[in-house]
Amino acid sequence: MTGTKTADDEKHLLTGATGFLGSHIMAGLLSQGKGVVIAGRSSGGESLKERIGRLLTWFGIEHLEGLLEFYETDFLKRRLGLGEDEYETLCGRGLSIIHCASDTSFAEKNRARVMKSNVESLTEILNFAHKSRTRCFHFMSTAYAAGIDSIECPEALVNSAHFTNVYEESKAHAENIVYGRCREGEIPYTILRPSIVYGNSVTGRSLRFNALYYPIRSLQLIRDIYLDDIKNNYGRKSAECGIYMNEDGALHLPIRIFMPHDGTINLIPVDYFTETILSILEKPETETFYHITGNNPERMARLVSYTERFLNIHGIEVVIGTSSAEEMRNPPEELFDHFIKAFRPYISDKRVFMRENTDRATSGALPPDLSYEIFQRCMAFAVSADWGKRFNVLRP
Amino acid sequence: MNDVLRTAKSCRHYAMCKIDFLGTGLCKSGAEKHYVSFYPQGRMDLYAALAENRIPVTEKCVEIAESCDLCGKCDYQCYFVTEMKPSVVMKALKEHIRLHLENGWEVLTAEKDSILDGLKEIVGDYWATSDRAVALTYSHDPCPVAEARMPEYVIMPCATAEISAVITLLNKHKIPYAVRGNGSSVMGFVMSEGAVIDLGRMKTIDFDEKNWLVKVGAGVAAFDLQKAAAMRGFRVNIAEPSALVCANIMCSGIFSTFSASYGTAADNYIDAEFVGHDGGMFRMSDKSAPNLFAFRKEDSAVPGICSSAYIRLHPVTSDEGAAFVPFESLEPALDFARECAMRRIGLAIGVLGGEYISVFLSPTKKLAAEVKVTFRDKLKIEYLVLVIGDKYALSAIQQMGYHYFDNRMIRTLNLGLPSLTSAKWLDLMDELANEEPFSYLGLKRFPDLAEAALAPSPAQLVRDVDPELRPFFEKLYARPEMTDPVWLNTFRIVSSRMGREKHVVAMIIYLPIDNTLITEINSEFKRIADSYGLKNDYGFITPLDNGKRCVFEYDYYLDHNDPDERTKMQQAMMEAGMMIERYSAETGTVTWIRYVFCQGFSRKESFLYSGAGADK
Ligand SMILES: Cc1cc2nc3c(=O)[nH]c(=O)nc-3n(C[C@H](O)[C@H](O)[C@H](O)COP(=O)(O)OP(=O)(O)OC[C@H]3O[C@@H](n4cnc5c(N)ncnc54)[C@H](O)[C@@H]3O)c2cc1C
Ligand SMILES: NC(=O)c1ccc[n+]([C@@H]2O[C@H](COP(=O)([O-])OP(=O)(O)OC[C@H]3O[C@@H](n4cnc5c(N)ncnc54)[C@H](OP(=O)(O)O)[C@@H]3O)[C@@H](O)[C@H]2O)c1
Ligand code: SF4
Repeated sequence: MTGTKTADDEKHLLTGATGFLGSHIMAGLLSQGKGVVIAGRSSGGESLKERIGRLLTWFGIEHLEGLLEFYETDFLKRRLGLGEDEYETLCGRGLSIIHCASDTSFAEKNRARVMKSNVESLTEILNFAHKSRTRCFHFMSTAYAAGIDSIECPEALVNSAHFTNVYEESKAHAENIVYGRCREGEIPYTILRPSIVYGNSVTGRSLRFNALYYPIRSLQLIRDIYLDDIKNNYGRKSAECGIYMNEDGALHLPIRIFMPHDGTINLIPVDYFTETILSILEKPETETFYHITGNNPERMARLVSYTERFLNIHGIEVVIGTSSAEEMRNPPEELFDHFIKAFRPYISDKRVFMRENTDRATSGALPPDLSYEIFQRCMAFAVSADWGKRFNVLRP
Repeated sequence: MNDVLRTAKSCRHYAMCKIDFLGTGLCKSGAEKHYVSFYPQGRMDLYAALAENRIPVTEKCVEIAESCDLCGKCDYQCYFVTEMKPSVVMKALKEHIRLHLENGWEVLTAEKDSILDGLKEIVGDYWATSDRAVALTYSHDPCPVAEARMPEYVIMPCATAEISAVITLLNKHKIPYAVRGNGSSVMGFVMSEGAVIDLGRMKTIDFDEKNWLVKVGAGVAAFDLQKAAAMRGFRVNIAEPSALVCANIMCSGIFSTFSASYGTAADNYIDAEFVGHDGGMFRMSDKSAPNLFAFRKEDSAVPGICSSAYIRLHPVTSDEGAAFVPFESLEPALDFARECAMRRIGLAIGVLGGEYISVFLSPTKKLAAEVKVTFRDKLKIEYLVLVIGDKYALSAIQQMGYHYFDNRMIRTLNLGLPSLTSAKWLDLMDELANEEPFSYLGLKRFPDLAEAALAPSPAQLVRDVDPELRPFFEKLYARPEMTDPVWLNTFRIVSSRMGREKHVVAMIIYLPIDNTLITEINSEFKRIADSYGLKNDYGFITPLDNGKRCVFEYDYYLDHNDPDERTKMQQAMMEAGMMIERYSAETGTVTWIRYVFCQGFSRKESFLYSGAGADK
């Protein structure tokens, strides 16, 4: 593939390309020889182009840079912060739009920021979509915009009143706005709803190490605290909380993971995510919602056994029920419980995501089951990248 | 410049070698002979002057050098504060004098002088001198805007009547004089080409528990008074431990984190005895006494010599503890501090920045620098609000919804600082902080986990300390008080570390706890110092008068031996001064401490609230 320009009717304008999923979509499109117009921002002293340049290197597709165009934008500003002429010219091209930029913080303290990024910013983006008579406006949402009111989640607009966090709430709100404005302005649209995305199932590579990775990383760091204690301080602190080295060389780390009820976690690898998105973009059915989700969500018990094997620890137990500070058995259990607080709703999830639309678009292609081999590959890569601390490609 | 001379010239004059703050005992000769010349500080100055041929070898020079028995106590004390080891200078001084005497070179004796005779008659033969070696040690300080002045006489009276007679004699001969405590104001206030009256011998401490007061002589250092008070179950409001209490009231009115509840200036004392500039004596409670309670916004001179003061005693309960409440930025920290002050929660309150926290807790510069980065980048702590209070105050803070580092956590953190800087698990805190800042402090068992993770121990804390001194420091940090924030705040033995890297010039103002105003002035202080390339940092803020006002310190740092930095500092200080004056005029609520100097006996209300007379 060479980096030559393609016609505008093959091109997509992509936001969020400096993020985990956006960058994979960008790489996927480029690999198909399609031009991508990147609308994003500079950060940490690096221009948008430099940031994308580092990502291209990570993907090993620097030679495709010629297929890219860059627009430094601010979605909260009029005309996306572009000059009048530039804006008009861009509008005139009628590009297909993939809006992937989003603030992904779950934290209530960031409510104002999240709402601004995920909801308020839509006004200008949708103005642009309308004015440019886009071929199609693809809005990257999340499966969890469904909220927590019902178990069965159809591929359709949902009017849930309850959400796990501000992020989900903002995405649901945004879907409603997209839905309303697109119908009103006759903008063709799709709404794309992935579940939780982890690294590449084949290579193990990833750019982000949150979600699935975070609890494993927490456990690794907790494990290392006690390994250090055993090695350097005669295991005094470990002994106090029943932590010891097993004869088989594994650390016995008695931690209970509390889950309010039985449930699963819906995970998909990023390679499956990208393939699915590319299939949808190929032949988008407009006014359609797509659940890009797994059909066979994981049970925590299996993830725990993978984790124990990967970290060479024993003693992790899944307990159905709620926890209280008093009940906590030891400091690591309490800390881990605290760490996974934000993720708890996702690991004991009862929701079922319908996916007929996605099946149609992908001819029924399903994500691979998360085998230990895939898990091991992904975690080994995470460890080698120091959970994103080393070679953080997304941040300068 | 060789290392010995550099050490000698780097003495900060904070007088920490004049108090026994580490329990090593004092430099023996200093404790006996009282002149600063016989303390390590004086010997450092003396050696530098001899090495640079600025003074001849005198009789006192010999006495000063020979009275050092090279016990090495000053190394512990000085290293604790500045990381310097003065004993190399002491050795060099002794060697210098030994060679001088061995070669049979001249030793200068003081010339006959009738004024000196008169002074000696008043204070006793030993306690007045015109020896150049002694004079030299009273002639300068590291202040970048003060010129050195060699006094003709140094006099050490030990009673009010002696002070009075000395003043009368000096007046008769029209000899100007400066009054000196421990000279640690380091602002050029205690030098004179006439006489320096050193009050260091007036060390009486008399408790009157019934009346909740203690009468202290002008020579009593804050540390010694606090120690005596603590032994009786009381607390006094003091600031720097080496500052003499009467001097500190005179100079800055004494502000400390405890000023949030104990007040400042006239709040600190009940009465005081003075010798006026005419040699007459008065007590502040006399109806006819000069009105030292009043304040005028002007540069003023010392209104007289305070020979003793009746200091207020404060009760101490056995359930006192500390809360260090972390914040990601200044404004919420100020809100919290103001709220505590308004609601009268806590005895001591201080909004501390990363510089103070890291420097105070760390035994070395290197560790302090690492800790500062760890606090900021990993723990996301930019500011810590310290509150010391009883159990009710501490539980009120919890009820207000704040998480904090308590005594136990502070001890763990302090003794585990080196592992903190290398701890990978802090990355987790970092990520948690993004979601719910400092929520981990609310976990019941977090202290246990922190202990496992940091493996706190005195040995670990002192691992970078000079190997020769390490065993001493290891034992020192094993003492519970050395990591007890209540004790450390009460005795203040770590705050002089702020001048460890370089000498510090504090810019201090009184103003309302108005977030916008403070943030603005804070950035102005920074902008000015940055424009001259001077190290600078936010110092601390303590609410005063129920949070209606506060005292705000911003610090500029300089190498006082570097002429270029001195010049830059002079310019920066001038510019900062003009900036303060501008805010003062614009707001009518900002008072520069410059005007409080020498009026520290006044009522705080008279300088905190301009309507009460500050502008009159
Ligand atoms: C690192 C550092 C931190 C400091 N932090 C604080 C702080 O937090 N709070 C605070 O309040 N101060 C603080 N100071 C200021 C300092 O402690 C005071 O200025 C104190 O006065 C110094 O005491 P001293 O005995 O050394 O006084 P000196 O420097 O000897 O004298 C100070 C002034 O008082 C006059 N004086 C001395 N004794 C008498 C007397 N008996 N009668 C009349 N006049 C007298 C002197 O002429 C001089 O003008 C700090 C200083 C340093 C170096
Ligand atoms: N990752 C998942 O598992 C997952 C699952 C379901 C749905 N999703 C959805 O997928 C999309 C991408 O997620 P991701 O995991 O790739 O997130 P990410 O790595 O955090 O990337 C977010 C992207 O959005 C941009 N962005 C954020 N706030 C912005 C703002 N205010 N203005 C402009 N750009 C802004 C970021 O730009 P900067 O780099 O400049 O900050 C970045 O390019 C989001 O819509 C998310 O809701 C993700
Ligand atoms: S070494 Fe000399 S100057 Fe230092 S404390 Fe001992 S006797 Fe004093």
